[in-house]
Amino acid sequence: MPPTKTRRTRRRTLRQILGGIRRRARRAAGRARRLWRRSLQLQVVTSTLVISLIVVVVLGIFLSDQINNSVIERRQQSAASEAAADRLQIADALTRREDDQAKSSDPGKSVPPDPLDEVMDNIIGTGRDGWKKRYEVLILNVDEPGRSRASGNVNQQNIPEALQQMLRRQAEKFIDRPQRYTEPIRLPGESQHRQTLVIGAIIHVNGSYEVYHFFPFDEEEQMLSNVRLAIVVVGFGLVLLLAAIAYLVARQVVTPVRLARQAAERLAAGKLDERLKVRGEDDLARLATSFNEMAANLALKIHQLEELSQVQRQFVSDVSHELRTPLTTVRMAADLLYDAREDFEPMASRSAELMQAQLERFESMLADLLEISRYDAGAADLDLDSVDIRDVVLRAIADSEALAERHSTRFELRLPNEPCMAEVDNRRVERILRNLLFNAIEHGEGRDVVVTVGADRDAVAVAVRDHGIGLKPGEDTLVFDRFWRADPSRARTIGGTGLGLAISREDAGLHGGWLQAWGQPGEGSQFRLTLPRKAGTDLKGSPLSLVPPEIEMRRTWRGQMTPVLLPATGDGGGHDED
Amino acid sequence: MTRIRRLGGAAAFAFTMLLAGTGCAVIPVGGPFPVDDAGSGDSVTVPFQRMLAVAPQPDWGPQQVVEGLLAAMAAYDDDPSVLPKYLTEEARRVWKPDGAITVIDNSFRFGELVENKEKNETVLSIQGNKIAQINEDDTYVPVGSSGDPKINRPITLVKDANGAFKVNGLQQGLLLTDADVRRAYRPTNLYYLNGSSGADPQPDRLVVDRLRLRVDPDKSFAQTIVERLAEGPTSGLQGAVGNEFPEGARVRWIRSSEDRVVINMGGPFNPLDTYTQGLQAQLRASLSSNNLANGRTLEVLLDGEQFFSSGPLTVPANLPESWLGSEDKQVFYSSGGAVFVLGSDGEGHPVTGPAGQPSQGYTGFAVSKDRDRIAARSAAGGIWVTRHSPDGRWQESIPGADLTDPSWHRDGSLWTFDRQNGEVIRSHPVVGRGPERVAAPALQGLNVTSLRMARNGVRVAVEIGDNRVQVGALTGGGGNAMLSNFETLTTVSGGDEIVDIAWSDGGHLLVLVQTKAGQVVKEINVGDGETTQLPTTSKRLERLAALGDAILATTEDSNEILEYSRDKQTWTPKPATAVDQPIFALG
Repeated sequence: MPPTKTRRTRRRTLRQILGGIRRRARRAAGRARRLWRRSLQLQVVTSTLVISLIVVVVLGIFLSDQINNSVIERRQQSAASEAAADRLQIADALTRREDDQAKSSDPGKSVPPDPLDEVMDNIIGTGRDGWKKRYEVLILNVDEPGRSRASGNVNQQNIPEALQQMLRRQAEKFIDRPQRYTEPIRLPGESQHRQTLVIGAIIHVNGSYEVYHFFPFDEEEQMLSNVRLAIVVVGFGLVLLLAAIAYLVARQVVTPVRLARQAAERLAAGKLDERLKVRGEDDLARLATSFNEMAANLALKIHQLEELSQVQRQFVSDVSHELRTPLTTVRMAADLLYDAREDFEPMASRSAELMQAQLERFESMLADLLEISRYDAGAADLDLDSVDIRDVVLRAIADSEALAERHSTRFELRLPNEPCMAEVDNRRVERILRNLLFNAIEHGEGRDVVVTVGADRDAVAVAVRDHGIGLKPGEDTLVFDRFWRADPSRARTIGGTGLGLAISREDAGLHGGWLQAWGQPGEGSQFRLTLPRKAGTDLKGSPLSLVPPEIEMRRTWRGQMTPVLLPATGDGGGHDED
Repeated sequence: MTRIRRLGGAAAFAFTMLLAGTGCAVIPVGGPFPVDDAGSGDSVTVPFQRMLAVAPQPDWGPQQVVEGLLAAMAAYDDDPSVLPKYLTEEARRVWKPDGAITVIDNSFRFGELVENKEKNETVLSIQGNKIAQINEDDTYVPVGSSGDPKINRPITLVKDANGAFKVNGLQQGLLLTDADVRRAYRPTNLYYLNGSSGADPQPDRLVVDRLRLRVDPDKSFAQTIVERLAEGPTSGLQGAVGNEFPEGARVRWIRSSEDRVVINMGGPFNPLDTYTQGLQAQLRASLSSNNLANGRTLEVLLDGEQFFSSGPLTVPANLPESWLGSEDKQVFYSSGGAVFVLGSDGEGHPVTGPAGQPSQGYTGFAVSKDRDRIAARSAAGGIWVTRHSPDGRWQESIPGADLTDPSWHRDGSLWTFDRQNGEVIRSHPVVGRGPERVAAPALQGLNVTSLRMARNGVRVAVEIGDNRVQVGALTGGGGNAMLSNFETLTTVSGGDEIVDIAWSDGGHLLVLVQTKAGQVVKEINVGDGETTQLPTTSKRLERLAALGDAILATTEDSNEILEYSRDKQTWTPKPATAVDQPIFALG
């Protein structure tokens, strides 16, 4: 059903879009949160902004309210007094009208103008050349004909209903209290509503006259809205100003703190001569002083430790050298004894053999110690030669054949067909490979050891894979430490000195290469040596994977999308696998 | 300690600076400072009150219903919805508010209530004196003293289904009291030009048209005025004056600010053909004379944009003097058949030329606009003219046996009425054009005793017999000239007689009336007949002359010139003696 499909597609698309938006929002929020957490300055400025905004809003509302009240109240009072004065005049005129009516008995006499007209003329200034008054007046008497008047364009429909009813209710109770009412009123002929104050009252003279005064309040409204606008603008400006001030102040404080942080970071990175500038005598200056003192002490301690370490290394080197001479003598004597062992009693013969074996081990240990000492002293150098790594590997395997046989271990060789030429120190690389092979045989538990050689444009690599007990997590770095062993209770069957891998790593490093280990409990381990084809160039990757391909494949099959593992350790740790 | 003291000092200094900056006062004191002399208030509206009509109440009696009806008539133009509530269905169908408005005096009475039981009708009459009527062209025509002003307007009332009185029969048109008119109408002067803009010479004077305009609550009075101005003159000036507002011109809005009033016009204006000075003068004079837009510049827009494509049309706050007439108030007088000039020293000097020579043959002297010619009626017959120069000589301009005193027109023509033939004659001595007859159908068969052209050259006043004054206008131009639009301005009766007439300005005519009780000098507004009676003197007056505020008269007995002072309201004699007639140029 195509429509369903379309809908599903669309729904999915929408969901995807929403998901995308959500992800982006979350990312942005995360970034903002991070920024907020990391920047003291931002925190200070934001806090100031928020607090000052609240203060300004509260103050602005208060001020605006005060001004509103005072202006409107004043205007209402003056309007009320004007209206009261007008009402007095009107009441007076209406009283006069009663008198006039009483008097005008003579029909022949000319009738004086209606007092209502007169009083209206007086109030609104009709007779004079004066300006039009600001307010309009409306006199309403619905009970008598011709007794209603209005000024300007105001008419009966403009009277607020509620006000009129209030007045009429009051009149029924004989109360004559003026009432006011404010609402937007649109007078006839005007284009828009205007805020108008209407004051109404009833005058009881010869009938009931409702008197309404219409005071336009649009000018006041305009003024108040101007004031409000001014308050808003000033308040906004004030908030911005405060934020700017907070920014400057925070900057004054935060900048030295930031400098101190950067200095501490550099110190942590090993730059022990990093110091802060000390300016003035304030708290920040004292912080800088303390920091500098701390850095100086730290540098001193580290220097002392380095010296101590140097002394120890020198001691080891000296001892090794010094031991060689007596050892040579002992060796010569031991060789004599060993050669003549068959003449000895079985016990003595066995002892001679044991002595011979341990002396060999002692010698190789001394050799390794001397080698390490050379590295520590920085005296190691390369004897470079362009060689085919495959040959080196084959030689190393040949050297290891005897041991392999003893452990009934077989080698599986995976060599490329083309030569893998590289500029290396033949002796050192061979030693590395030998070490790796011995190691694999020792921990391979008689299973096959796979030796793979790979090469690409920049580098050559050799991986030695065993299927022994493997490495526990974290051990892939520890294996390169001096005298480290996975299980201290386990004896060294092949008489390793515990320095082989350490020396191998130093050798690899001397070439500018990597020596890395991978291992999993039960899966065995793999050591990979990667060397640049041209000595001294930086490695960008290795032609071989550190994790054995079958393990990798198995992971993929299990649906674990974990890509190629990062180098598990050490030297090449920062580099990506290819 | 020192630090705290220093901080305290700084704070005190800051506080002092703050106080000094704010001046320690809410309202700053000091001065004097110049103040902007801004006008206040709204300059385009007038304060006014109006009648609010209320609907009839069921408990009202017949008289109250009729009073309410009158109030509704007074408020009809503002709110036409109330009046029909007083009328029965039938009356509503029949009655129309159109036509002239009848104005009665305030002392009207209600007649006896007459009940017609057969018809179930009640009739109540309004009895009073009609004082004027307001025509549909807004002219206010007072009822002449000769006619019978009494009117009786019966109003027929019937009871409706609810028992309330309703008006069933009344005369057509609105009936207002004088108070209603005073409340809702304003006497208004509108100004037109004394000629059309295409004519030669160009119009140079404004002609006032007096009418009563109703204040419209929905618009400013200035707008009412300009709208009415655009509509054109009333019947009295129809065809006689020029109007720079084209037919169909209308006012979109008028807005007033502190220093200017903006008038947005619409309609078929042709800015290039408009005689701008004329339009400016019409607007300025019509608004200013009614106390509107005083001291403010007027800016005229056309459909919301600048009047001319090249720029705005602005009207300065003051009208150039020349438009309303600023003639030199040089006084001439005739004495013993010679014309004299009244000098600044008060003594009279004979004018140069033959007019200054004593001669018994000439009377009824008239001085032309530029004072270069003097006309007179000869005892031998005919109107004679001489130049005001040593080499001038009397020449007959209009022959005739029985002519009225000559009157100069501002275009240089000389006017008189040939009583013998009953026709108006004019000649043009300046260009040497001979006498010609000018049509004046309204004057045919009338005993015209005097004919005076107004100084603006538009209106003409004629005295009929010795008891009536009519005012008309010179309509048409050139060869089609005609005196028409005549209306009676004033009549006297009962043995009273009109002695003399004289124009004071384009809108007012002075009439000297001899009554039994004595003499009366009336200054009558020719537009609405509004009359101001000048106080009289014990001396008997014979001839009048006027020019604007200056009013001169000669006494019959002592032959001296009296001058009327408007401020003191008294007549004071001038030194000249043996005066027959005071003369101003034109008029």
